[in-house]
Amino acid sequence: MTSAKATEQIQQRTPGATAKPVVRIIDLHKSFGKLEVLKGVNIEVDRGEVVVVLGPSGSGKSTMLRCINLLEKPTSGQIWFEDTCLTAPKVDVNKVREHIGMVFQQFNLFPHLSAKKNVMLAQTQVLKRSKADAERIAVEQLTRVGLAERVDYKPSQLSGGQQQRVAIARALAMDPHVMLFDEATSALDPELVRDVLDVMKDLARQGTTMIVVTHEMGFARDVADRVIFMEGGVVVEEGTPEAVFDHPQHQRTKEFLGHIS
Amino acid sequence: MRLFSKPLFKFFLFALVLATLSALLSPPQADALTVSSTTAQPNSTSSNSSAVIGGTPTRITWEGTVDKGEQVKSLDLVFPAGCSLADGADVKVTVLHGLDRMAYLEQDQLDAQHVSVDFAKAVPSGMLIRVEVHEISLPNVAGDYQLETNYTDANGKSAALGPTQNITVQTVSWSDQLSDWLSQQGWVQAWNSVLFLNIFFNPVQIVASLPQLFFGWLRSLGIVLIGFPIIAIPIGLLVSFLRMSKLKVLRFISSIYVNLIRGTPLFLQIYIFFFGLPYLGINIPNYVLSFLVMGLNSSAYLAEIFRGGIESINKGQFEAAASLGMSRMQTMFRVIIPQTVRRVIPTATSEFILLYKDTSLLAAVGVMEQMMFAKNIVASTGNMTPYIVSALYYLVVTLPLTRFSRNMEKRLADGEGGNEAKEKKHRLRALFTRKQEVAA
Repeated sequence: MTSAKATEQIQQRTPGATAKPVVRIIDLHKSFGKLEVLKGVNIEVDRGEVVVVLGPSGSGKSTMLRCINLLEKPTSGQIWFEDTCLTAPKVDVNKVREHIGMVFQQFNLFPHLSAKKNVMLAQTQVLKRSKADAERIAVEQLTRVGLAERVDYKPSQLSGGQQQRVAIARALAMDPHVMLFDEATSALDPELVRDVLDVMKDLARQGTTMIVVTHEMGFARDVADRVIFMEGGVVVEEGTPEAVFDHPQHQRTKEFLGHIS
Repeated sequence: MRLFSKPLFKFFLFALVLATLSALLSPPQADALTVSSTTAQPNSTSSNSSAVIGGTPTRITWEGTVDKGEQVKSLDLVFPAGCSLADGADVKVTVLHGLDRMAYLEQDQLDAQHVSVDFAKAVPSGMLIRVEVHEISLPNVAGDYQLETNYTDANGKSAALGPTQNITVQTVSWSDQLSDWLSQQGWVQAWNSVLFLNIFFNPVQIVASLPQLFFGWLRSLGIVLIGFPIIAIPIGLLVSFLRMSKLKVLRFISSIYVNLIRGTPLFLQIYIFFFGLPYLGINIPNYVLSFLVMGLNSSAYLAEIFRGGIESINKGQFEAAASLGMSRMQTMFRVIIPQTVRRVIPTATSEFILLYKDTSLLAAVGVMEQMMFAKNIVASTGNMTPYIVSALYYLVVTLPLTRFSRNMEKRLADGEGGNEAKEKKHRLRALFTRKQEVAA
């Protein structure tokens, strides 16, 4: 499923990279008490691929995403990140999370730190980069998301869209191997959504491996290499955007897309 | 060359021998007078009642006895330099034979340098002469002072006696001077004639106790200023972590600690520590024990305040930090606690105020803190005013802190969900930028 374009870029970035999937989810189950949210999910994401996960609320797509960096502990099943099995006992969770960037619906910026410090914190704490390096990279990433002039602002002084872009910069500064977007634009005012989507599109174009949970159909159609439709805790349908949007195979997918558009 | 004739030389020799003999046989000072005492009346109105204060009118009493076979015709007492006479300064001379007062006419002259007494008839031996100088002020410099005594005997022979015994003078503090002055003012006397005002708001006592209570105030403040940041905050933080620990044992132990301390009176804890530890042979200096006990007590309350603060932080903050690969410790110290600090400042300040007021309980075990200072003054004066002054000292700390705590609370409430904390200098700018965004 890997697009030729993306593969090419990845191979430029990491010479000798194999076509091995970055993330592999095998028969993932997750229950909250008696409520079974994920009922055997199987997903593979290759390097450089942009996968958009669609589905009605309560379908388990956010939970699936949060399982990938173990913010939720899977009940059963396996999750592989590159060569590491995350569901194995004694796995160093923090080490794995370094390489998995995540962007939340509610931004979750650190309110007591400026935009720049938000981006610097984990670099210095986790990657042990020098302050100067971290600062340089922070400014670089903030510039990349269009916030060069806002580096010293506190989150409370930024709009929602700006905050979300800081959050993206914060994740990118860690040089993640994959970026997870958990409804990154759902909490934004409509007029602020575009800025964030533009940044995400840029990332996709630059070959970033991305798993995006969203309700933005336009984004899915334009940017996704593959679209996954989830409902009721399972993957109902997956395929290229054209296949899923224009020729959905399942009744539920049709209904969902009909409701949305 | 002969300067001296032989008889003259013989006379000199004789005189020399005589002088040597008389020097050997008789006491070296063949004075007609023995000074038995020189004293000044204690004149401090405040608590130190036995002190002689300089610069304040007092009464100097000089007493001397006329020696055997001698008579004293006149006396001249020289005051130490720097003395001064107040209004109504006067001399009173009494001559006593045993307990009987004898009538001897005398004339006296008094000025700031000396007093001279001239008896109409020489005072015979065995008599005690007492000279009292009223309303004279000794120099307002602390130290020992003496009077010098000169006299003339019946034959008109003058002699000087060496310095008399010391009069120890203490300097007058401004408050003593002021309270002395106040106590002589008409309006103060009128004010004090009202019993209630006299007992609780006596101006003289206010002025006199202010500086003394200041030291008590410093000590009370010192106990909390050491106990709170050095003991209460670190232990409180630690206990709050234990309270949120994944390990049940730690949660259990820490909850016992918190509940024991919060569930029993501080007064009781003070008694247990101050009276219990010495029985175990553990002797800790009072002040050290003070801030230990106060700090430990406060740590339990702070632990709950901190825990509440940490638990009030949005779960998303933990998740964001975790998603970046930050360890639990890094998350705590870099992300959660800095945000918690701002949130707990109002409640922690209230806790500080409570603790500060509760230092007064330490008076019960004899720690010299503010309450104890006030108690001591009240005990020696029988006037309640020092307690009121003490109240003022407490308020000087508690009122501004209460205000600070309230303002912080308001500021946090104004911020969005308490998430936002701005430095003062950024406040206006933050408000401004927010407005712009709303308009945009």
